[in-house]
Amino acid sequence: MNVKRVIANLVVHLKQFSREKSTIFFVLAFPILLMLLFGFIFSDVGSSVGTLYIQDLDGGAYSQGLVGAFNGTGVFDVTMVDTNISPDQYYADNNIDILLVIPAGYSDSIYMKLLDPASPEANLTILYDQSNTNTQTKISIVGSVIDGMNKELSGSVNYIGVDLQGQQSDEFKFIDFFAPGIIAMSVMSSSLFGTVGMNTELRQKGILRKLATTPLTRAEWLLSNILYQMFMSLLSTVCILAVGMGMFGLRPHINIYMFVFILLCVFSFAGIGMLITRFVKEAESAQAAANAVMFPMMFLSGTFFQLEMMPDFLQTLARFLPLYYVNEGLRAAMISLDYSIILESALVIGTFGTVVFMLGVMLTSWKEN
Amino acid sequence: MADDVISVKDLVKVYDDVRAVDGITFAVEKGEVFAFLGPNGAGKTTTVEIIETIRDATSGEVSILGMDVKKNRTEILKRIGVLPQEFSSFDRLTVEETLKYYAALFCTDCDINKLIDLVNLEEHRKKLYINLSGGLKQRVGIAVSLVNDPEIIFLDEPTTGLDPRARHDVWEVIKGLKKEGKTIFLTTHYMEEAEVLADYIAIISKGKIIAYGTTTELIDKHFKTVKVTIKGGTEGVGSLAEKMGMPTQGRDNGNITIEASGNEQIVEFLNALKANNISYLSMDIRKPNLEELFLVLTGEALIDKRVTQ
Ligand SMILES: Nc1ncnc2c1ncn2[C@@H]1O[C@H](COP(=O)(O)OP(=O)(O)O)[C@@H](O)[C@H]1O
Ligand SMILES: [Mg+2]
Repeated sequence: MNVKRVIANLVVHLKQFSREKSTIFFVLAFPILLMLLFGFIFSDVGSSVGTLYIQDLDGGAYSQGLVGAFNGTGVFDVTMVDTNISPDQYYADNNIDILLVIPAGYSDSIYMKLLDPASPEANLTILYDQSNTNTQTKISIVGSVIDGMNKELSGSVNYIGVDLQGQQSDEFKFIDFFAPGIIAMSVMSSSLFGTVGMNTELRQKGILRKLATTPLTRAEWLLSNILYQMFMSLLSTVCILAVGMGMFGLRPHINIYMFVFILLCVFSFAGIGMLITRFVKEAESAQAAANAVMFPMMFLSGTFFQLEMMPDFLQTLARFLPLYYVNEGLRAAMISLDYSIILESALVIGTFGTVVFMLGVMLTSWKEN
Repeated sequence: MADDVISVKDLVKVYDDVRAVDGITFAVEKGEVFAFLGPNGAGKTTTVEIIETIRDATSGEVSILGMDVKKNRTEILKRIGVLPQEFSSFDRLTVEETLKYYAALFCTDCDINKLIDLVNLEEHRKKLYINLSGGLKQRVGIAVSLVNDPEIIFLDEPTTGLDPRARHDVWEVIKGLKKEGKTIFLTTHYMEEAEVLADYIAIISKGKIIAYGTTTELIDKHFKTVKVTIKGGTEGVGSLAEKMGMPTQGRDNGNITIEASGNEQIVEFLNALKANNISYLSMDIRKPNLEELFLVLTGEALIDKRVTQ
């Protein structure tokens, strides 16, 4: 293994890529367009804007004044919640994103505070969805309303305190669900088609035959290809995250696990690509074979739909598809941080990737028959 | 022999149902230009690629620079230069970058400028490969095959598909290499190319060598006669030629082809036409081509018309 040769190859691939405007466009535009498309179709932007749920357990003069103040902003569509239900229960059952709880004794606390500034503040509780940027906006509006009330009451001392209780929703928003799926799919398609495309093109042009007459070894060549595919995959991942975070309130965990899954995905599908070009020499048939691998994966391994929505036999089938484990693993890594899923998925896709890649290395050779 | 840099013995290569190379034996001497001349499908590429270590022979012994091709691949590749058939390179690298890339693969500090100079590409060095004409691309390919300062250079059909002008430019480059004393293994299906460049020619057909010798020997033996085609001649051309002892062929549409033993006989014949008041529309003189040679050597016409230029 000669590092200089690996780098020389990598540089050639990067130069070729950066000088071809149409490839740049397709590599970057495809994932971005998918994100935009699914983002706009499924995002719930607008559906709950302005709704503020309030449970008034106090029912006193000051609590009514506060509700009035929220109504008066004109920003919120205030919905009062039945006082007999526990707030946590209500929050969880109704799939809402923000619930302001005015505790019993709120008005009394304010009276006390007015009489004796040293007495404790009147505390409000807010349950809200941390992961939703739309909710963050609501929180800040709620905060400014409360500030206003405080000023009105005293000028300086805080009469009303806020206890923010962020809720981790276990019902993910769709963006949380599909962003990792789209990353997995883009990494799969760019590694698979990138490898198949590069190999068939270079074979057709006779460049592989020329390379066979140089000291470049097969392993050096494959390694530089993998490094290149990784670069491309990271590039499209960055695009997807930028669109998701910038436009649709995606707040993923960006951690080492995420990179591990992307890397394993590159290995697996670049490996499959190598095997395809090993056995299918003709360019168009190789493309067709790559499509035949990709499409079932795309639709059956839970990229766009939650698998629970699919019939049982399809759910079982999905467990045989490598992309399923990339999807599961990336979702666990980026959203839920469920370590048992991270570990299990990494093991499966790691084993698969290693086997496929090794086969690719062993079965392909520079020599023609 | 001590000076043989390539020696091939009883080489056979069988593909699924084709005997592409059918037991050939030959040797190439150091410093010579050796031409492998034959039509498409004769087995030229198969043979060179076996010598270049990138294909495996079915049987036979091949050694290059004293090394067995089956055992010393890495060492051999360092010491040979290859221009594959239909060479092509990365579209979006410049000439200069292409050379640097291949030099990096050999890990040699080769003098790119000298190479660019040698193949006469100075004014094109910053151009992308994709924007070069066919002839320039081939010259890049030849330069690439030289990055490791090889002892033997293989050029597999270096001028196929080029226009005559570009072909002559490539010939000049090859003559330059020859002057530097490199051993060159050239394959071609152009008779003229072999004649202009080669010291030694082996003619291959259907996997077998059917004639070989130094270029002068071969030409004296097979290409001495000259063919004269008279078009639109009046009555009596044929009988006059026969009277002068020259064989005739193809008397149709008033065209007739006459085989002369050399230029003097043509002059004699033309004078005789004048003396006999025989007129004609046009006249065409040429040497017999590879196709005709094949007809003589194998009794079979070549199917591939490209061979006839
Ligand atoms: N990889 C291959 N598989 C099967 N047949 C081949 C292969 N390469 C060449 N052939 C056949 O072998 C014969 C010789 O081919 P080749 O060596 O390319 O001839 P040339 O270079 O003289 O044109 C042809 O009939 C060709 O079709
Ligand atoms: Mg050939």
